[in-house]
Amino acid sequence: MTQPFLSIRNIRKTFGAVVAVHDVTVDIPKGEFLTFLGPSGSGKSTTLYAIAGFQDPSSGDVLLQGSSLLSVPSHKRNIGMVFQRYTLFPHLTVAENVAFPLRVRRRPDKEVKRKVDDMLALVRLEGFADRRPGALSGGQQQRVALARALAYDPPILLMDEPLSALDKKLREEIQAEIRRIHRETGVTILYVTHDQEEALHLSDRIALFKEGRIEQIGSGEDLYLRPATDFVAGFIGNSNFLPAECLETAHGSATIRLADGSVVSGVKANHSLSRGQKARLMVRPEAFRLTPGASCAELAVEFIDTAFFGERRRVVARTAAGQEIDIRPTSDAADGHGGIASRSRQVFFDPAAAFLFPA
Amino acid sequence: MSVDARQSFATLRMPSGFGGLLPALVLITLFFLVPVVALLLRSVTEPEPGLQNYAALFGDGTYARVFFNTFLVASVVTAVTVVVAFPVAWMLAIMPPVLGSIVFGVIILSMWTNLLTRTYAWMVLLQRTGVINRTLIGLGVVDEPLPLINNLTGVTIGMVYIMLPFMILPLVGTLRAIDPMTLRAAALCGASPIAAFRRILLPLSLPGIAAGGLMVFVMSLGYFVTPALLGGTSNMMLAEMIAQMIQSLLNWGLGSAAAFILLAVTMALYALQLRLVGAKRLAGGV
Repeated sequence: MTQPFLSIRNIRKTFGAVVAVHDVTVDIPKGEFLTFLGPSGSGKSTTLYAIAGFQDPSSGDVLLQGSSLLSVPSHKRNIGMVFQRYTLFPHLTVAENVAFPLRVRRRPDKEVKRKVDDMLALVRLEGFADRRPGALSGGQQQRVALARALAYDPPILLMDEPLSALDKKLREEIQAEIRRIHRETGVTILYVTHDQEEALHLSDRIALFKEGRIEQIGSGEDLYLRPATDFVAGFIGNSNFLPAECLETAHGSATIRLADGSVVSGVKANHSLSRGQKARLMVRPEAFRLTPGASCAELAVEFIDTAFFGERRRVVARTAAGQEIDIRPTSDAADGHGGIASRSRQVFFDPAAAFLFPA
Repeated sequence: MSVDARQSFATLRMPSGFGGLLPALVLITLFFLVPVVALLLRSVTEPEPGLQNYAALFGDGTYARVFFNTFLVASVVTAVTVVVAFPVAWMLAIMPPVLGSIVFGVIILSMWTNLLTRTYAWMVLLQRTGVINRTLIGLGVVDEPLPLINNLTGVTIGMVYIMLPFMILPLVGTLRAIDPMTLRAAALCGASPIAAFRRILLPLSLPGIAAGGLMVFVMSLGYFVTPALLGGTSNMMLAEMIAQMIQSLLNWGLGSAAAFILLAVTMALYALQLRLVGAKRLAGGV
């Protein structure tokens, strides 16, 4: 029987009457990049803090290679962490910051010096060893923080929204750095973010948090292509939810009636829905086509606004039932400029690529 | 752009130059600089022109002991104040704001209470038959009353109590500026609470300790009331000596010289601190 590398077992955390984390269980294999994704207040940071030892969970356990971490104080957990805010020690130079975890472990000078050089090379800040954190940009400071967190070869690296204080361009640059460092070091990373693009870009697996529980855990592809709930479908990627009524279900496929009265059959339905039940049909904006295809359903809409975004167009349209929806057809799919501009028309989508959720 | 607008608005409304300093300058010149210069003159002209007053102060063993004692008391008081003030300042810095402002209020209130009243209160508490000694004897902790008054212990206790706010206030400011996350980061890096205090918190709070420490040290050097009431005759401080020279012995020359030495030492200390803090800023530190 193989035991998981890091195991979070039924973590629950309450602050007075407020339940921050209901019940979170997840096993993390060695070397995985797992992201806790979710809106603020969904319990992702609280779960991370329980692993770091800042807040003991009210119940549950955290096991590293089979032994519980909970009775171990923070400074003996041997875990690396990069924080949301810049937490470098302002009175120490970059090199001294990176050396700090090694100094408190009383490693020999020679080893400290070698390791600091290695780490600064890893985060590509070799020339900055003697600077103070105050003289660095936000992105550089977070890279030093990363070097400091990895200097003592921790088995786990925790990252709590480390890029949220940076601008978009810098964020993408450092995301690439983090991916490279994960590849080169093979460290197990637990990453917290509320940014779904960041999560999709970085992670092996994503645990999507909602109200103190994991709503769904899986690869980015799983969450995007096979959302378990309407919350997942709405959080990952872009989505339109069309109110519908279930007419008939059989073998995971359903026939529904949309608000404008049109009937769509062959809709994928993972949830058990009964006849007559209210439902919501989720169609990705990019799943809409402007030209009909085999087994496509059609929807009568009125185009309100269209904009050109390179490979895709972005159209705001209104259905016959008066709902505004978002449509992003590929640019070459447009049947000429006139087709896009015409106000009332049909759009098409594959029912098998749409998802039906209970309302 | 809005900053520029605000700046030009400010220059429009505020009088430029040093004109605004004029009232304060006049006041300081009339009531501080002139008397200080007069004092300096007296110290080198009475009873006859020359430096004999300074020679007497530096040459005499009795005066040297008073100087030594003054610096000893000021040093001990400063050190004890730092040790007592630090945990209080830390608690204030991390307390919820409402609770913090209550504790702050208590500290400020003690500053506003009459100095003489507070010192007499300590006399009542510390004397041989005072509350502290009677309690200790009653509890059987000691057999004989402890000598808590008319010595260095009494002066230290009384003065630390009076100096605490002057240490706590600047220290709270410095400690509040330290992100508590920095200490969490230190803990995860493997620093035990003691290591985190020694390597991170203490160095980061040094500017506050320096500012408060200088204030307390300088105030202690010239302190009169508390040493006079709680101290003993064997460990007289400079301020007491100056008062005695001028009031009892009517030796204005010698008293002025002693006062001037005290002023010079104080200013030298201030210059030293400016230099240290300035040098640190230049290095791009805290």
